[in-house]
Amino acid sequence: MTSLTLSLGPLALVKLHDALTCLSKFSDTVAIEAEHSVTRVDGRGSYQTQSQGPERFFCQILIRALLSIFRGRVDRNKDTAVERCEMEIHEDSNQAECRLTVKMICGLGELSQTSRVQRKLNILGVIKSYKLTYEPAAIQHAVFDRSKTTNQWTADPRFLKQIIDHFSMSAEQLDICAEAGKATFTSFTTKITEGKEVLKYPVHTSVTCDRKDFEEFLIEENMHIAINLKDFKAVVAHAETANATVTARYTLPCKPMQLAYEFEGIRAEFTVMTRGEVDGEEVSSARAVIPQLSQRPATAQAATPAPISLRRNETPRVAPSTEMPPPPARARSIRPLKGGSTQENLTPRSTMDRPLASASMDFDSLFVPQDDDRQWDEMNDEDEEEPQDILGWDASGQETFEPVLRDIEPDFSKPAASRKKSRNNNDEMGLPPTQRMSQVRGFGLFD
Amino acid sequence: MRFRTQLKDTKTFSKLTASLSSLGKVCWMRLEYDVVRFTIIPEQGTQVWAQIPVDTIFEENTYEMESNSEAINIEINIANLNRALRSTFGSSQSQLRLTKKDKMPLLALTVLSTDWTEGNMALATEEGTTDHHDDQPGEVTGDRRARERETRITQEIPIKILHESAVDGLHEPHCPDPDVHIILPGLSQLKSISDRFNKLASTDSKSRQQQTGLGLGAVDNSNSNANSNAQPGSGLSSSSGPKLELSANMHGKLKLAIATDELRIASVWSALVNPPLDPAHISEQQLSQLPSERMRGVGEDDESGWAKVRIDGKDWSRVLSVGRLSPKVVACFINETALVLYVYLPGSWNGEESCLTYYINSFAA
Repeated sequence: MTSLTLSLGPLALVKLHDALTCLSKFSDTVAIEAEHSVTRVDGRGSYQTQSQGPERFFCQILIRALLSIFRGRVDRNKDTAVERCEMEIHEDSNQAECRLTVKMICGLGELSQTSRVQRKLNILGVIKSYKLTYEPAAIQHAVFDRSKTTNQWTADPRFLKQIIDHFSMSAEQLDICAEAGKATFTSFTTKITEGKEVLKYPVHTSVTCDRKDFEEFLIEENMHIAINLKDFKAVVAHAETANATVTARYTLPCKPMQLAYEFEGIRAEFTVMTRGEVDGEEVSSARAVIPQLSQRPATAQAATPAPISLRRNETPRVAPSTEMPPPPARARSIRPLKGGSTQENLTPRSTMDRPLASASMDFDSLFVPQDDDRQWDEMNDEDEEEPQDILGWDASGQETFEPVLRDIEPDFSKPAASRKKSRNNNDEMGLPPTQRMSQVRGFGLFD
Repeated sequence: MRFRTQLKDTKTFSKLTASLSSLGKVCWMRLEYDVVRFTIIPEQGTQVWAQIPVDTIFEENTYEMESNSEAINIEINIANLNRALRSTFGSSQSQLRLTKKDKMPLLALTVLSTDWTEGNMALATEEGTTDHHDDQPGEVTGDRRARERETRITQEIPIKILHESAVDGLHEPHCPDPDVHIILPGLSQLKSISDRFNKLASTDSKSRQQQTGLGLGAVDNSNSNANSNAQPGSGLSSSSGPKLELSANMHGKLKLAIATDELRIASVWSALVNPPLDPAHISEQQLSQLPSERMRGVGEDDESGWAKVRIDGKDWSRVLSVGRLSPKVVACFINETALVLYVYLPGSWNGEESCLTYYINSFAA
């Protein structure tokens, strides 16, 4: 039996509420991950607060349900009289139901400073209990290797907010580019509108500001990288409540970008997908890694424990042989998530059909590079049955030259060190993705 | 075709676009040599025809307009323009120009904004910088001292260029001579009272509907906002609020009233001005035949001296949003037919120029 109890004071409650509000902009469910000293709340970003738990525990819960408990009780400007919030989870294999019990304890223990009448009321106290259903879940973390960062900027959230304020409400994407010591943020929308409805086209807004307005500004010139504007807004809004400076780290378009900030024991990291034109010639090794960042690769990795990580196969430069090499030794069991049929359709074909044009790309990103997407389109012309956005899960363990997503069942019982080791062993055959293609839809990249 | 200008008074321009966009999103903007016209003709509700001299909103000496037809007709989402103009607040320079991108015509607003940063407090608390010796070189580029910050903002608003033939058929409505013309009291007061009446009437009708068991759907419709053309024929007139009765006489009195089955309220203003008509435009004899002069002759206490219109409360509230420009408003009542508002921007009073004309139909009783 697993049990988790944690207790939040009024301040922590406000922080949790703010974090959940922020995460609700990313996803409907929030994953809660508890270790002995750390609780990680995860939508597509991660978030931590102090707690106690007997062992590592994972679950996911509807954010709306959790937020509704806080409604009216969490207000940073008001004394909402919630003294303490206690959360409890007891997972029993004999019980079918998974319930998170939340108790809001109001008005206890404020005896000393209050008048007699109020004291009477306070002695009564109110405890509000809620029971929420959760689902056990395997939590997947987006992997982001800070030591490989080649572009980085840091800015005050209020400054970023001022930039955002210029954008129209309907804008969907945000392009970031540096030119001649200036940074340009441009909002745009990829949605194709009917030619006649010109007036419904969104306004394009670009804001150019001096690098001096950033606290740190190390960006490759003339490289355009685009992210989802709503994500960015949510991140900045949350950072603004905490007045924490936001740092963006990234390498190339179509590779993940991490937006991170820290405040008062909370570390927020949002790994978001990006889009943009990749110049095919350039390989990431040609770009200098930001030196000051590589100082702490070890701590960065330790600080961002990733029970599951994604690793796409490196595409070799040599011509592929049609014969598959034998599957490498597996440290962990592999199971297909989506059934084997798609995988069987995709893997061999992609191996043979894929031209070597994109061979120079380093496929260690979370996302399918745009060039790659076009390749998929061409194939679909030949075969109508294949929906273009379905990626198969390669359970075969066969070596392919395609960045196929694979799933590996996480083994959480192992200590972190041995997991890491086994991950290294698995490098040859790839590790599972952090996002399903279906979840990525709607953000423009795969539409 | 060419249009380019520096903006002069972006506050007024922004307020103007905000007022216009409350009535409808699609706006016909016509650039002429001396004036800029804005026209909004919504599918239902009040239409507005505005005529703004170029130098009210644009720097006249930077105003460039070239067209074969001596005017440029633009169809624009006025809400987009309004939103874009927000970027000009606190700016030192803003330019508006007609341009093209991927064959799509655009109205591009370029703003050079300089503001004073208060210094980056957040970073200043980091190690070593607490002592304000900011001139020490750090790895960061951020300058923590308060200083001037320059930001360039470009807003590209998609538009449609209308051919002269497309706008040929659009004309300002013709109205009979008014029965009563009167200068309205302060619009903020008028709006707050109108809104109060609207609210009372809608809560009243809501409670009645609940009593008669009309169900929630109908209640929602009566409350739903304007432009809900999506639900035609859903019982109540979906996009409309309660009907207000607005009436006035030629003795400086204006009455705003609302009547439902359960309540009757009226507010009466007195000692308002019935502006005299300009004798330069009208002969003595014509003047004596005008209905308003006849109404002026009717006794102050006589009911027949009042001209009345029934207007939609919600629509009226949207019209009154022009109050943000703090204009002078002459209301012309055509009894039981229409209400025409001449809205003069401050500074243009009696100059025949900056004027927004609102045409409001009266509902049948």
